[in-house]
Amino acid sequence: MIQVRNLVKRYRGVEALRGVTLEVSDGITGLLGPNGSGKSTLIKSLLGLVKTNEGQGTVVGKEWPGQVREIRELVGYLPEDDCYIAGLSGIESVALMANLSGLPKTEGLRRAHEICDFCDFGEERYRPVESYSTGMRQKLKFAQALVHDPPLLILDEPTTGLDPSQRESMLRRIRTLHTHYGKSVLLSTHILPDVKAICDSVIIMVAGTVKVVDTLENLSRPIHPTQHVMVLGDSSRLVQRVRENGLEVEVECDGNLRISPLESQRVELLWQLAAETDTKIRRLVPAMNSLDKIFIDTASLSEVR
Amino acid sequence: MPIHDLGYRPWNGEKCGRWLRPRFIAASGIALVWRRKWLRLMLMLAWLPIFVPAIGIFAFEYSSTEPQMLQFVGNLVGGPLQRPDLAMQLLADPDSARHEVWTLLIMAFFRYPQLSAMVLLVGLIAPMLISYDLRSRAYLMYFSRPLNVIDYMLGKASVVWFFLSMIVTLPALILYLIGVMLSPDLSVVQQTWDIPIRILSASVVLLVPTTIVAMCYSAHTSESRYASFSWFATWILGFVAYQILTFMGTNFGPRRRRGFVDGLLLESIDYDRWRLLSPYHALGKVQASIFGLDTTPGSVVPSVLLLIAVTIVGAWLVRRKILALLSI
Repeated sequence: MIQVRNLVKRYRGVEALRGVTLEVSDGITGLLGPNGSGKSTLIKSLLGLVKTNEGQGTVVGKEWPGQVREIRELVGYLPEDDCYIAGLSGIESVALMANLSGLPKTEGLRRAHEICDFCDFGEERYRPVESYSTGMRQKLKFAQALVHDPPLLILDEPTTGLDPSQRESMLRRIRTLHTHYGKSVLLSTHILPDVKAICDSVIIMVAGTVKVVDTLENLSRPIHPTQHVMVLGDSSRLVQRVRENGLEVEVECDGNLRISPLESQRVELLWQLAAETDTKIRRLVPAMNSLDKIFIDTASLSEVR
Repeated sequence: MPIHDLGYRPWNGEKCGRWLRPRFIAASGIALVWRRKWLRLMLMLAWLPIFVPAIGIFAFEYSSTEPQMLQFVGNLVGGPLQRPDLAMQLLADPDSARHEVWTLLIMAFFRYPQLSAMVLLVGLIAPMLISYDLRSRAYLMYFSRPLNVIDYMLGKASVVWFFLSMIVTLPALILYLIGVMLSPDLSVVQQTWDIPIRILSASVVLLVPTTIVAMCYSAHTSESRYASFSWFATWILGFVAYQILTFMGTNFGPRRRRGFVDGLLLESIDYDRWRLLSPYHALGKVQASIFGLDTTPGSVVPSVLLLIAVTIVGAWLVRRKILALLSI
């Protein structure tokens, strides 16, 4: 969907994007990064809202940055900022965005109603947008992004300000759009559970560079085979014996252990050590890296460098 | 769940052309402005002054059957419209004066009531056009669509142009048609065919620079009242400055400029110079020239250049401001 090479954006000498090269395939991709890492600048650059200093590529099969207007026809963008057209009602706003994306007048209004139904607007659609709550405005922006049926959705913090049930509904809609209607989604967010819930792959940006691009499945797999062990009672003797056998042990704050490198085929050794130290193992499963850990590790490693 | 809720459905219709899209910005802006009661009232009131030139044209055309009407038109042209030469000409040969009488009446309609109505209308509509978008960050919504800054500006300007045309161009064209219909025969069209073109040209001169200036003020603040204040201040201060400077020049200027044959020329050059301070007088000069009624000596070129410069610089500033906002 998106292929960009060597994207550079400078704001008065400060490099907001430093030679970003990335490839986003079909599916739902999470765009993560600490504040100021360049996520929003990257999105605005892809849409041609900010002029980049260097870089080229393709977005939805169109030359970037040469064909940004064609790209905008094929992309639905939900901005992070609270933005609305003052004075219009919800349905008028969605219909106007449909018209500006090329839908004829009457068809735009019909389509706007259809999308408002999909987004569960109800009668609220006839109220002026100024009177909308934060959650309603998020839904409105989502409806506006979707109204022209784009193959790619770029959503910048779509669940911010939503209550848990609305958030759940929003994530379900995004998932449905991908699984049933083949839409690709680039989801920029700070809310890691959202990424875990719906994303297939993840991009992590730090300080204007792309640090990680991989599928969630690959990222969750530790570099060395690791076992996650839940122990009943005192585990200090087991920890000592495991270390004596040349394995690494990390004791988590809840008392559970992460032992590596230990392949599933070699867990007999662990059972043996537990028997020797009279330690009761309650649960033993292959360990996965949490997204939080991946995110924090990536960000902190980059800071050290 | 709504009874018609069918979930998400793909859309495969045919899209309309890109050049049409500013039309949607304009239509949405016009609909928004039209909701204001005071504006509808103002539009109605702005049509009232049409009766004065309409009566003038009616009297002029009716004079072929009722010669005493000619005296009334002569008084109107020679008195309030300050063209005694034309008054004498129309009393002597009404047919030869028709074109000039019509253009003078229409020009007077443009110049006095409609220009004032225009200042008021633009001052109330235009400042909110962009400043509201700045406040609510709506420009992000617009520019995430296949629009460029020119499309956006065109759409916004069209809102003002629509309402201005409603109070300036349309009444003037209707006035012309009334004149044609009141004439004894259609041969008047041969004499006056160029007047609609002059009306349209004068409208462009009136609409474009004024709208761009108002949009420029609007683009530089998220508080529309500041933009309104700047707009009215531009007109009032310019008008007052012109009046004071020409009064000073006439009454306290160097004596050598008076009483000589070329003294009149020098004085009018001074007027031209001060005219550039006042949008009202600069516009009036160009419009009078377009209607072919500019009888005062002095060139119209400085005023034309001023209006062109204001339009170009204003449009450039609006574009620059919007691009700067997007890059944040």
